[in-house]
Amino acid sequence: MAAEYAIELRNINKSFGSVAANKNINLKVRQGEILALLGENGSGKTTLMNMLSGIYKPDSGEILVDGKIVSVNSPEDAKKLGIGMVHQHFKLVDIFSAADNIWLGAEETTDKSAKGKLSQIFLRNKRFTEIEKTAEKFGFQIDAKKLVKNMSVSEKQTLEIIKVLYYGAKTIILDEPTAVLTVQEIEKLFEILRKMKAQGHSVIIISHKLNEVLAISDRVAILRKGEYIGTVNTSETDELQLTELMMGKKADLNIRRSKVEKKQPLLEIRDLTVKNDEGAVAIDHVNFYVRGGEMLGVAGIAGCGQKELCEAMAGLRKIESGRMIHEGESIVGLPPQKIIEKGISMSFIPEDRLGMGLAPSLSITDNMILKKYKQNHLNPFVDRKTARKDAQEVIAELEVVTPSTEIPVRRLSGGNVQKVLLGREIKADPNVLITAYPVRGLDIHSSYTIYNILDDLKQKGVGILFVGEDLDVLMALCDKIMVLCHGKIMGVVHANKTTKEQLGLMMTGALDLTESDNGKPVGIAKDSNIKEGVQ
Amino acid sequence: MSKVKDPFVRIVKRDKIHPLLKVLFYCIAILAALTVGGVLLIAIGVNPLVLYKDMFTIGMLGSRFAYKSVEGLITIFVPLLITSLALSLSFKMRFWNIGGEGQFIIGALAAATVALKFGESMSSFSLLLLMFLSAMLAAGIFGGFVALLNVRFKTNETLMTLMLNYIALYLLRFFGETQAPWNFYLSDESVRPVFQKFAETAYMPTISIGKFSLNISFLFAVAICVGVYFYLKKTKHGYEISVVGDSANTAKYAGMNVKKIIVRTMFFSAALIGLAGGFYVSGAKVLSTSVTNNVGWTGIIVAWLSKLNTFAIFGVSLLISIMQYGAQAASTQFPIIDSNFADLLQGIILFFVLAADFFIRFKLVFRKSAKKQGGKAA
Amino acid sequence: MNQLEVLTLFLFNIVVYNIPLLYGTVGEIIIEKSGSLNLGVEGIMAVGAIFGYLIGCSVNSLTVGILASFLCAGLFGVVFAVLTVTMQANQNVTGLTMTTFGVGLFFFIGKGLSGSWPVMTAYSNINDGFKNALEIPLLSKIPILGKAFFSHNILVYLGVVIAVAVWIYLNKTKTGLRLRAIGENPAAADSLGINIALYKYIHIIVGSGIMGIGGYYMGLNLGGSFEGSNCWINGYGWIAVALVIFANWSTAKAILGTLVFGFFNTLQIYSGSLAYAFPKSLGFLSNVPPQLYQALPFIITALVLIFASVNKKKKMAQPAALGLNYYREER
Repeated sequence: MAAEYAIELRNINKSFGSVAANKNINLKVRQGEILALLGENGSGKTTLMNMLSGIYKPDSGEILVDGKIVSVNSPEDAKKLGIGMVHQHFKLVDIFSAADNIWLGAEETTDKSAKGKLSQIFLRNKRFTEIEKTAEKFGFQIDAKKLVKNMSVSEKQTLEIIKVLYYGAKTIILDEPTAVLTVQEIEKLFEILRKMKAQGHSVIIISHKLNEVLAISDRVAILRKGEYIGTVNTSETDELQLTELMMGKKADLNIRRSKVEKKQPLLEIRDLTVKNDEGAVAIDHVNFYVRGGEMLGVAGIAGCGQKELCEAMAGLRKIESGRMIHEGESIVGLPPQKIIEKGISMSFIPEDRLGMGLAPSLSITDNMILKKYKQNHLNPFVDRKTARKDAQEVIAELEVVTPSTEIPVRRLSGGNVQKVLLGREIKADPNVLITAYPVRGLDIHSSYTIYNILDDLKQKGVGILFVGEDLDVLMALCDKIMVLCHGKIMGVVHANKTTKEQLGLMMTGALDLTESDNGKPVGIAKDSNIKEGVQ
Repeated sequence: MSKVKDPFVRIVKRDKIHPLLKVLFYCIAILAALTVGGVLLIAIGVNPLVLYKDMFTIGMLGSRFAYKSVEGLITIFVPLLITSLALSLSFKMRFWNIGGEGQFIIGALAAATVALKFGESMSSFSLLLLMFLSAMLAAGIFGGFVALLNVRFKTNETLMTLMLNYIALYLLRFFGETQAPWNFYLSDESVRPVFQKFAETAYMPTISIGKFSLNISFLFAVAICVGVYFYLKKTKHGYEISVVGDSANTAKYAGMNVKKIIVRTMFFSAALIGLAGGFYVSGAKVLSTSVTNNVGWTGIIVAWLSKLNTFAIFGVSLLISIMQYGAQAASTQFPIIDSNFADLLQGIILFFVLAADFFIRFKLVFRKSAKKQGGKAA
Repeated sequence: MNQLEVLTLFLFNIVVYNIPLLYGTVGEIIIEKSGSLNLGVEGIMAVGAIFGYLIGCSVNSLTVGILASFLCAGLFGVVFAVLTVTMQANQNVTGLTMTTFGVGLFFFIGKGLSGSWPVMTAYSNINDGFKNALEIPLLSKIPILGKAFFSHNILVYLGVVIAVAVWIYLNKTKTGLRLRAIGENPAAADSLGINIALYKYIHIIVGSGIMGIGGYYMGLNLGGSFEGSNCWINGYGWIAVALVIFANWSTAKAILGTLVFGFFNTLQIYSGSLAYAFPKSLGFLSNVPPQLYQALPFIITALVLIFASVNKKKKMAQPAALGLNYYREER
């Protein structure tokens, strides 16, 4: 008789440098259940699961599999223990076929005959049909000869799941599997997960989306700021309780939203089309505008064009067609430097935080002057004096925790990194501020600090485009919310008149307000700022 | 279920390290390298203590002509220092310019061309100026071309500069080995192909301090060292280099023209190496097919040993020059030893320093101590 | 010499002089396929050469010489593996240091032995073993080509056999597939439980060992005479690095590439006699500067690099993770 729990984690601790990612975590996974691991971005979910799958090693604590204490030092150990993980960033070799990606790490067969030994050494064409058969056994139809680089995201994910099953995983971990999928694909994935459960597998699904968690899981375990909060039965809980557990207290989003007099549109986007790195259309004929003294929220499922939109407006991405008008002048085709000089400031917090906007090995001071070091063209030297003053001010105003202004940004914790980034953007005194995920991974207190800073800016007449993840925050903080779905605008709604359900429907493409409007395209201001003849 | 045991030792990234410990690690590395070198020396019957003494005093001890040693040292030191400094510019940008050899040759060749063509017809000052400018320009274009290909087509710069090293070398050999009426590089007087000596106007001036004559390229080299320091630390260009090297995405985001910065920095880097080549031939008064004396390679080692720190580059290239010149000087007493021993020792030192880097960046966690930690937490 | 003889000798020498390139290239391809860019080929070949020669002579056995060159070069490869795989040191710098050190060691040992340097002709087994041609039945009877390509010493055949075997290994076996996975995406390979460090170590060692045999060959081909100024390898290690690119990381194409690069290398020596033997058709050869022949392998490779990067459609088979170290807990 197998132990009651497939997996048990006891007092797990893990730190990266001075940042504690997991603090004394205890977690139990039953045999044959779907356990959702719920938590905000940066709450330590992925780190915890990476320790279970052998990517990281815990600083201390115990891992039990089927009631026995084990040590997971490498992915190979995890494989042997029957633990398989589907990572958010797929671990596939692009130039290999599906079949080769699957059986690459397979153990040698026990066939000791000469023919059996030979078959272990050489690649045979039979492997393709064999893998297809195995996949069929698990209930998947795949083309085993297809190269990974020619696959869609959903196909790659399916391949990863088959891979995990192929290695006989009893416990399957999926890290935010729905983030990259369409609605139909998510439904299909859930179907697969239920089937795996029926076959006796234990499934851990990492997510921060409540509706999905409620739809698929048997129990929900909640992490918050690297700590284990508790586990509840899905049938006995609801969104409100889960939000409370996730957020720490009742989602009392008492965010300040000042009323500011309506001003002229500062930035207008018309018919904008932008492609992503792969050459697919990421932003599809989009119209909207940002007024001075107004905060326009942008909602949408991750990866539906937010990044490309921000980059296009900052001059970092080539636009295919359309117009971008700032105070009556076209900014299409201007280099980033010119756009910065016009007072349009963009700060995008990518998932790894340090990817764009900051130079991680440089000091806070040096990062402060990143966008304005060119000022005063005649002087060939960098003005570090002013920069240091700026750095000190940002540290004081935003309560950045750092020993000095000369510390490399890389050494700061995530929240402080974001404060430095946003602080610099505010110091630049912009008239349009584009900010994406500014509170990603921040604690509640820091998040509110940032909300208030943004609101202060709005009162000063700055036009703000706020790309966010949390609908509650968007509804409480912004004046209007624009919803993106696969690069298209589904409509712009007033934040205090909309509901979460409405936004959710629009985000998934089920509701399109642009069509219901009587002839007038959504997102074009009545008092348009576009001067005739400006291209 | 298979049993899995903790590995005996694990590698964990260090958060930070005390600067003194860092210095200690490097000192241990160098001592260990000298010890290994010493063992090799004993194996071939040379007393390492005597040899090291001779080597690191570059034969000055007990010599009546000690100043000659310093002069010789400087001829090795100047090109190495300038080349290492120049390479640090591109390395700081994470641009792998391993084409120092080729750029040095092109610079030397350009300077020699000017010296031989106009040596008789120009005043010394303007001739030298023209020599050095053309050395910089030629080498700068030679290196900048690779950067241009890299930013335009993503051509691999490591492999490309490597190929150009040899293309430049055979070009130089072509001029040095082809006897023909058009070939003004060669001397008319010799039957065998020999490079033509420069006219006196093309000689690098020296300052006499007593018997000692100081080649003024040394002063230039020191000035370049200070200049590179300020360039990297204080100017906007230097700031751009460090941002691009740290994160090209961030640089683009900040409105920097990353392509322009890469091409410009690579141009400067190659031009400086070309200048070193120009200085060298002007000091040597004649071209040679082994003009580089491997500075293009050694410079990479120096830049890396110095962690791209400008003043450390000064110290390390001085140390390496002392080793190289010292090995030559010691060869009068030990015929077995020549500059190749310096290469060997250099290699050993770098191996140990690379190993020391590892202990500075990572720490080893042994099984026992890991358990102890676990016990404490529980 | 008549025309036929000159041509035959020319083709024969293309093979004889340039087989070390094949060894160096095949060794480097194995290492690069594991994701490591090793610029120490020159040094590793030098180490293999001198130890192979000295140990081989000490027991008067060609086989022992081959094994010793393989083992000593492989042992030297361990230094690269420890520094770059375990200690995460920069591959470019480590590789260059391998060259500096290896060539330095070559001279150091050579000079240290100067008086008692073994003369190759005194060791009959090695001397004859290297110089005796093994004629391949039937094939060696083909006019011109038979003498040029199928009548060589054992090390020539060994080189070709290794190249073909490595091609089969890399492309047709499971271990080869795993190795390529490591060179392309180490994180993916790691997640499948493939022991990356072990794979890298083994292939760096074996690859270095193969280079070492190439170095040994060069020494034997030069009659094993040590001159204080010239290293036996004489830049062939660097040509091998270029040839890896020219061969597009395929050891089968490396055989062809060796002949192409070897063609130019050999022309440098034979352009005169070819021009003399075929005054009408090849007379121009004597006017081409020999340095151009020497530079051509590098010029061709540079052009291949440029064209490959300009033409994005024809992607090169360069491993995606080449030159990058892998540390699992990186974030």
